[in-house]
Amino acid sequence: MPRIPYWNIDYGIIIDLLAIPVAIVFFYGLYQQWLLIKQGKMRVIPSIDNMIQGIGTFRLKAFLVRGILNARLYRKPASGIAHGFVFWGMVILFIGTNLVILNILFGLPVFSGGFNRWFMSFMLDLAGFLTLVGIVFFLVRRMIPPDRLRLPEARKGFVPVSGLLGLILITGFVTEGARIAAAAGSLEAGAFVGNFLASNLISPALAFEIHAVTWWVHGLLSLGFVAYIPYSPLVHIVLAPVNVGFADPAPNVKMGVMDFSAFENEDAEELPALGADKLADFTRKRFLDFSSCLWCGRCQEVCPAYNTDKPLSPKGVIVTLADRLASGKLDESLIDGISMDAIFNCTTCAVCMEACPVSINQPKTIMRFRQNLVMEQSRIPELMGKAVASLEQRAHPFFGTGSGAAEWRKDLDVPIFEPGQTEYLLWIGCSVAYEQRAQKIGRAMVRILQKAGTSFGILEESRCTGDPAKQMGNEFLFAEIAQQNIEDFSALGIKKIITLCPHCFNSFSRHYPKLGGEYEIIPHGSFIKILMDEKKLNLVRKDQLITYHDPCYLGRRNGIYDDPRTVIAGVGGLVEMPRHRNESFCCGGGGGNYWAEELGSRINQQRAGEAMETNADTIAVACPFCLLMLTDGLKKHTEETKVFDIAEIVDASTV
Amino acid sequence: MHIAVLAKVVPDYLVPSMDFELSNNRAHERFSRMLGLYDENAIETAIQIKEKTSGSLTLISYGSENDIQFLRKGAAMGADQLILVKGTSDDAAVIAGNLVTALQSIDNVDLVLAGQQSADMDRGVVPGILAQMLGVPFIPQIGYVDHENGSWTVTQITAQGKRELEFSGPGVLSITSIPENVPRIPAVRAIFAAKKKPVIKLESTDQKKMALNELEVAIPKIECVCEFIDVEDPGQAVRILLNRLNEERYL
Repeated sequence: MPRIPYWNIDYGIIIDLLAIPVAIVFFYGLYQQWLLIKQGKMRVIPSIDNMIQGIGTFRLKAFLVRGILNARLYRKPASGIAHGFVFWGMVILFIGTNLVILNILFGLPVFSGGFNRWFMSFMLDLAGFLTLVGIVFFLVRRMIPPDRLRLPEARKGFVPVSGLLGLILITGFVTEGARIAAAAGSLEAGAFVGNFLASNLISPALAFEIHAVTWWVHGLLSLGFVAYIPYSPLVHIVLAPVNVGFADPAPNVKMGVMDFSAFENEDAEELPALGADKLADFTRKRFLDFSSCLWCGRCQEVCPAYNTDKPLSPKGVIVTLADRLASGKLDESLIDGISMDAIFNCTTCAVCMEACPVSINQPKTIMRFRQNLVMEQSRIPELMGKAVASLEQRAHPFFGTGSGAAEWRKDLDVPIFEPGQTEYLLWIGCSVAYEQRAQKIGRAMVRILQKAGTSFGILEESRCTGDPAKQMGNEFLFAEIAQQNIEDFSALGIKKIITLCPHCFNSFSRHYPKLGGEYEIIPHGSFIKILMDEKKLNLVRKDQLITYHDPCYLGRRNGIYDDPRTVIAGVGGLVEMPRHRNESFCCGGGGGNYWAEELGSRINQQRAGEAMETNADTIAVACPFCLLMLTDGLKKHTEETKVFDIAEIVDASTV
Repeated sequence: MHIAVLAKVVPDYLVPSMDFELSNNRAHERFSRMLGLYDENAIETAIQIKEKTSGSLTLISYGSENDIQFLRKGAAMGADQLILVKGTSDDAAVIAGNLVTALQSIDNVDLVLAGQQSADMDRGVVPGILAQMLGVPFIPQIGYVDHENGSWTVTQITAQGKRELEFSGPGVLSITSIPENVPRIPAVRAIFAAKKKPVIKLESTDQKKMALNELEVAIPKIECVCEFIDVEDPGQAVRILLNRLNEERYL
């Protein structure tokens, strides 16, 4: 016998009618969220790539993959699957409920035949059951929360809303069981949970009464639940996919460049605030970040600063901002509450962003505070201040270096870039020129290029891209240095640049085009791979085990994971560290922290230890800063010299 | 409260010794130019006094017009105006005399600060000569400066310890570096504002030179002679190294 709507229920239509005010309360709640987010500044809209990728700044692929399919959640299998049960279970139950409404309104024949058996009975029971399993998992986990959820603060409101949902599911099942029990003996094909309850727990004598009560309880609780969603942490159902869709499509933090022209303009009435000190200085996208955050702590769990007892937690920063947003304190200074130490401890490695299931850009928020400290308040840790001052005075941040500009190429015949004749500029950068250990990278790369017969040249005097200034929050100095470089490159007619440092690569490829400098940029590891592919290098593969440390600015920031690995596989056996590729752990030197008196324990020692545990003969890097940090970090574990740049490894393996 | 800081634009004072070279008996022109090391400490100290006393600050320099772009950093840090006396002399008395002229061109200077020594000549004598010309006290190597009830309390910091001193009326202090006077990185709006701050240029005046002649300027020739101490045990290696250093009279 097909199911009859409102069976055993008088005035059941009331539930359907109540859906109208519930929808109003629901959408009013969402409107309130919009009002909160709307207080942020409008962001500068980046250009649209194409309609297939997205509409305006809204990216459809990210929305679907990360927002709807929640791809990143499954990196933690237990909570990922539990969330999958609840999310997909509720999606199916929502579809089922709507089908019932269509049946009532238009007589859609959903309660008959195979569809009734396999979807309306079996599938909905399965969905409800799995949702319940997921909810039990989450409730138990809230009772014994892992540190990432508990520290520095747990988000309130999950337990009541999860409990409510659990109750709705239980009353749903009891209603179903009672309905089946009332039919006295004839079970409903496919409804395995309802059948179980009807056969074992619900007495047919009481079935009618139980059904009448739980039907109403289930219906009313469900409506209450829907109305409550925008006022509870479950609002993430809406906010999280939207936040993901609006996230910047370029991999990881993209700080953009700043326009300082208003400061030059004598008539400018109001000068823009540089960076952010208070909530009102942030954009709507950041407001959406703060509202979307579930406080799950996945960012904090992977953060190199947090994991070495520094005062920074990316979750802590977002939580502070979310709290302020909720309490409407838009104009209160935030920096001292978060602490200057925490703000400068960020290595900008972006592993937090990589871990975030809802695509929050934590480093960008932290960097905005840093920009404000440096450019508005003249506050910067002492060593970083010296590096920035040196960058301004000498065009490189290595104050106190024992090397002159040409020392790295002493006794080496290195061609100078000749306009119109040389093809590639080999960009040496600051560390390779001025830091003694890193100088060997430059020498190795020169030898490789000469062996391969590449047309290349260097600038007479090495200098910096300005990137360290940018990372330390001094966007103004970065812009000045970058503009000078662009001017000089134009004069020399430079079009193709080989970089030795991922920070230079990132600066040239991400930020220089915005300032008018468009070049073909290729990191040295990728260039070596091309030379290998073209059989221009005579490599000898040695019996050596090499582990590769992914530099944050090459890997996570620019998605270059394979080229350096291919190069390494060409000269030895590659062995991976537990955290590699997009999950790689920072060397500790990013975000200007090469020039830091590190608080807590040392990030580089932790990472070097991880590399040691692979039993590799050599620890390969593709970044001079990683080279310096890990060389230093390794001293805690061994006296051996094991850290080398891929250029050095290739150079030693070429004949 | 009106404070004057004497500052000098010098060639890069952190050029690695291996890379250092002379031209015309002075640091080579290829080296970047910048505000002197201790001069920046003096400017920072002066800004802190200015902020506490709501005073004003004048930066005074003796040098070439090309130096103005580097002196602007002092204005961006917080100086209200710049005075440049145009001149090329290295003679301490000539420099001091010209700086006195500049000081006398502005009114009511309550305190004059200078870096404890210039980053190129490393003499540390100009502020002393200048104080004598002005007839006011000169106290070198000062770290902390406080102003209370019309008198100055200053702390002189030497390698051995510190000494607190008090004086009233104008005086000249040469400033050493302490953790509290690490020069600030100017805020961006201050950098732009500094471009509009007044720069007064004065012609140098004839001053009596010191009675001395420069005969020769030389820098040490650095040679690298590499010698390996081929011993496994680090303790043993240190002993051999110490012996060698003693033998060669480095210690």
